[in-house]
Amino acid sequence: MIDMLQNISIGFGVALTPLNLLYCFLGVSIGTLIGVLPGIGPVATIAMLLPFTFKLPSISALIMLAGIYYGAQYGGSTTSILVNMPGEASSVVTCLDGYAMTLQGRAGSALGIAAIGSFTAGCLTILLIAFFAPPLAELAFRFSAAEYFSLMILGLISAVILAHGSVFKAIAMIFIGLLLGLVGTDVISGIHRFTFQISELSDGIEFAPLAMGLFGFSEIIRNLEGKSKREIFVSKIKSIMPTWFDIKVSWKPIIRGSLIGSMLGILPGGGAILSSFTSYTVEKKLSKNPERFGKGAIEGVAGPESANNAGAQMSFIPLLTLGIPPNAVIALMFGAMMIHGIIPGPNVINECPQLFWGLVASMWIGNLMLVILNLPLIRIWVQLLKVPYRFLYPSILLFCCIGIYSINNSIFDIILTIVFGLLGYIFLKTGCEPAPLLLGFILGPLMEENFRRAMLYSRGNPFIFLNRPISLSMLIIAALLLLLIIIPSIRGKREKVFKE
Amino acid sequence: MKTKVYKKKDFFAGLIFIFFGIMAFWINQDYPRGTIIRMGPGYFPTILSTILIILGLFTFLRSFWLKEDLISSFAFRPLLLNIIAILGFAFLIRPLGIVLATLVMIIFSRLAGWDFSWREVLILYLFLVIFSYILFIYFLGLSLKVWPI
Repeated sequence: MIDMLQNISIGFGVALTPLNLLYCFLGVSIGTLIGVLPGIGPVATIAMLLPFTFKLPSISALIMLAGIYYGAQYGGSTTSILVNMPGEASSVVTCLDGYAMTLQGRAGSALGIAAIGSFTAGCLTILLIAFFAPPLAELAFRFSAAEYFSLMILGLISAVILAHGSVFKAIAMIFIGLLLGLVGTDVISGIHRFTFQISELSDGIEFAPLAMGLFGFSEIIRNLEGKSKREIFVSKIKSIMPTWFDIKVSWKPIIRGSLIGSMLGILPGGGAILSSFTSYTVEKKLSKNPERFGKGAIEGVAGPESANNAGAQMSFIPLLTLGIPPNAVIALMFGAMMIHGIIPGPNVINECPQLFWGLVASMWIGNLMLVILNLPLIRIWVQLLKVPYRFLYPSILLFCCIGIYSINNSIFDIILTIVFGLLGYIFLKTGCEPAPLLLGFILGPLMEENFRRAMLYSRGNPFIFLNRPISLSMLIIAALLLLLIIIPSIRGKREKVFKE
Repeated sequence: MKTKVYKKKDFFAGLIFIFFGIMAFWINQDYPRGTIIRMGPGYFPTILSTILIILGLFTFLRSFWLKEDLISSFAFRPLLLNIIAILGFAFLIRPLGIVLATLVMIIFSRLAGWDFSWREVLILYLFLVIFSYILFIYFLGLSLKVWPI
């Protein structure tokens, strides 16, 4: 307990320095901004800003990037509620009851409850992280190569659950990602693999061009396919404070949503999106009169909005304790840490306590900033929706190009971005999700390394993965998950959840 | 089942997977495979590309009796013009610097959308050039060439 207080005070010591406060503020503001704007999400934004963070101190860079992720959850809810346009995938469910409330003239209550819920969830998850991360890291220290390999299998299989469309396509995308991750010099033999004799590829494919192309460029082309008619009609917001009655109805959903988000966020493959959908379903099931849902039930805003924020923050735990990214945004954080020379995993807590606890503390500060600064600024954020997309996308393209060029002053990296952009667009057209590919790309080299080590250790006996209890149980969970997704009846349900 | 199979998403997706798998498998032939105890650089890619080919075949074959899920038409115009915009930037930034490279990029990428107007392009361009200069060169200190000279 004293340890924990000490750790938290280290964290606040780091997070409260003026520089880090500034980057935290920048992060959450950019997050809110892109959360409000449809057509650009946290993945594309973090990929775009990644090159610019090279010169920052590593802790400031991570504080800012993390701020973008949870800041986007706040911004996404604002537009869902006010104009029925989810700026963020995780806020899709908020549209259902949030916008209904706006039509009834209760927009202020909905916004207020969303903010209070998100903040409560933020506070709760920080406590959970402080309690559970150190023991989890302890456990991870006992992992050998076999456990790590099985854990990565479990992580990749769980990522498939979230993918829309065909499970087989999602798995195939993982394999493409794994193969792309192997491009470059093999660490053990020094042989250049899949480099096509291109010297720029000998260090592997740069992370930023891949992410930017797959998520940024292809998304822009998709948005340019049809002429968008965006009519923004914003009604006057009277008061942002919810009434006592609203709070009385909402506090239970907020707690439940936070818990659901915390549990699902920590799972590999989890995160903000899954959490908000699950919370909505749970609230509807528990409600005495579920027919109110979709017609302005405040529980339908309170629960999911708490859950998505909790999920977003908890998904940092697998990254910081096990070194496994559970979703695409965290995969980008993984890339950012590697760029700054920090190897994500159980060592982070012990070797860079300032970084770990500083990041955790900054999340709490960031949440506070979001509540204090964003609620009064909501009107300004909504005005931003009026910026037409035809101004937005050339700016995004330009910033991407400058960013990617500035990594190595290399034209090759820009061309690589185009290649992945084109590929991303083809994937988009053929219904293949790029997120599993990104996870595979990050995990590819790690999986190979651990596979090789496990085989060396066991003298070529593949049963090593089944003989060790932790490894075996992870593989069993992975197998069960795979069965669950493949069995058609359950797949139907899964699609229903996505459609709702 | 009158739908033409070659318009289905999975038909193409399967072909792409098979293509990637075969490419990887074929290139990988050059790398020593080693034994299971001491794996060479070619061992793991062999496993990956084989599974990818199988998954690709499965997706491809399944598309023949799966219900229709057709590919919507490709937006070639925005695709091509945006690629030209980025390529223009990539090849002009070294000889001409950021001010002129940005101009070429903005013109082509705005041509990719609709409602092109020179006035808007000019406003957007001026805004972006000044913004990028202040942010990237002045504040972040990126070493980017500004003018041709």
